[in-house]
Amino acid sequence: MSETKAPRILLVDDEEMVLTSIRAYLSLETEYEILAHTQPEDALRRLDEGPIDVVVTDYLMPRVTGLQLLAEAKKKQPEAARVLLTGHADKQSAIQAINDVGLYQYLEKPWDNAQLLLVINGAIERTRLLRGLAEKVEELDAAHGQLKEAQRRLIRAFL
Amino acid sequence: MADQPPAITSGASSSLDPEIRQLREKLAEAYRLVALGQLVTGVVHEINNPIGSIVSNNEVSLRALSSLRQKLDAARLAGEAPPQKAIDLVDTLLSLAAVDKIACERISGIVRTLKTFSRVEERDLRLVRAGDLLRDAAKLVDCQYRRRIELQLFVAELPEIECYPQLLSQVLLNLLVNAGQAIEGEGRITVRAAQVIGSEPAAIEISIEDTGKGIAPELRPRIFEAGFTTKPIGVGTGLGLALSRKLIEESHGGRIWFTSEVGRGTTFYIRLPVRQTRPPAT
Ligand SMILES: Nc1ncnc2c1ncn2[C@@H]1O[C@H](COP(=O)(O)OP(=O)(O)OP(=O)(O)O)[C@@H](O)[C@H]1O
Ligand SMILES: [Mg+2]
Repeated sequence: MSETKAPRILLVDDEEMVLTSIRAYLSLETEYEILAHTQPEDALRRLDEGPIDVVVTDYLMPRVTGLQLLAEAKKKQPEAARVLLTGHADKQSAIQAINDVGLYQYLEKPWDNAQLLLVINGAIERTRLLRGLAEKVEELDAAHGQLKEAQRRLIRAFL
Repeated sequence: MADQPPAITSGASSSLDPEIRQLREKLAEAYRLVALGQLVTGVVHEINNPIGSIVSNNEVSLRALSSLRQKLDAARLAGEAPPQKAIDLVDTLLSLAAVDKIACERISGIVRTLKTFSRVEERDLRLVRAGDLLRDAAKLVDCQYRRRIELQLFVAELPEIECYPQLLSQVLLNLLVNAGQAIEGEGRITVRAAQVIGSEPAAIEISIEDTGKGIAPELRPRIFEAGFTTKPIGVGTGLGLALSRKLIEESHGGRIWFTSEVGRGTTFYIRLPVRQTRPPAT
């Protein structure tokens, strides 16, 4: 597992105000790397640039909803945990969509810092576990491949 | 007639049974509350972000300040210059204070506009800038629709007009909410206001144009009827336009009309005299 790198959190909200507050809180409480964006397009580009542990996004944004963004994020990095911030009014649609985008959690606005951190920590753990598992499976696959190769050579040598 | 609440008086109301008058008054009040209630959802949503920010910032500020205090004390004891971490904390706190200021301004702005609409006691003719009423109404409606509807305001230099501000706000609010409800998905509402050139007596005209679904020709004669609505229960009571017409024509001596094209949109027009010329009732 690549435990060496600090967890990376991708934060998306169309309001700079929200980003500033959450970023300040997380950088005070944690060593996480925070990538914050008001434009969903910029956030999606970030997902092409390297592994992200958690994507936290607002639900209601102009042009793109948080769910559409998370659906895209899921295609780009399926293991990255997805967290949705919702207002009270759109809570219902958020709950309905939990399955569609494989939501890890949703939080209601106004958000509670301690709860947000708890959710993010759980999400990081889950993502790292998934990635670790994927690595192990790959290693196993590689080892299996090597074994197969050795077996083939052995057989060839005796035939 | 100015001594009676204009919301509920018709031309013949002075001869009306007081009980009926009271009922009408209740109805108008109930309608106002419903209209306001619809907006509250949007307003609550609008307040979420600034409140969330302030609460969060406050928590961070308190913690950062105490940590800062410790670091500076430690440095002073050791006779050192302030550590980098302390300087970073100061920067963070400064940025949070800036956000708090914006967040608070936004909340007070919303609360202020909300107050304009819930002021019950204000029933007197006043001189006001129509542009201010339009901007306030637009701001409230914008809370509700801003993510899907673009609201444009073109307000020319306007003379101050003599009116019942709260009642006029109520009309504007209803027309704007109707416009918003007529738009499915994304669209635009354009509000214009200007003085009518060459009009005698002086008058202003306000128009509210939407890119909504329009009104079918066969429904057009009915939309000003009290109780006529095409909206589901819980959304429309069908009183908005009936009341609006009453408030414009009877309370202000103005006119209200509309043009509409199915599939393209609807424009409502209001024409208001700049001065109320009718002699006040004794
Ligand atoms: N801008 C508009 N575009 C399309 N239809 C409209 C528009 N404004 C009004 N209407 C039609 O006129 C009807 C009556 O409007 P009115 O404002 O009186 O009542 P309502 O909006 O249905 O309910 P309420 O205002 O009491 O909540 C509406 O139901 C709608 O069918
Ligand atoms: Mg209406």
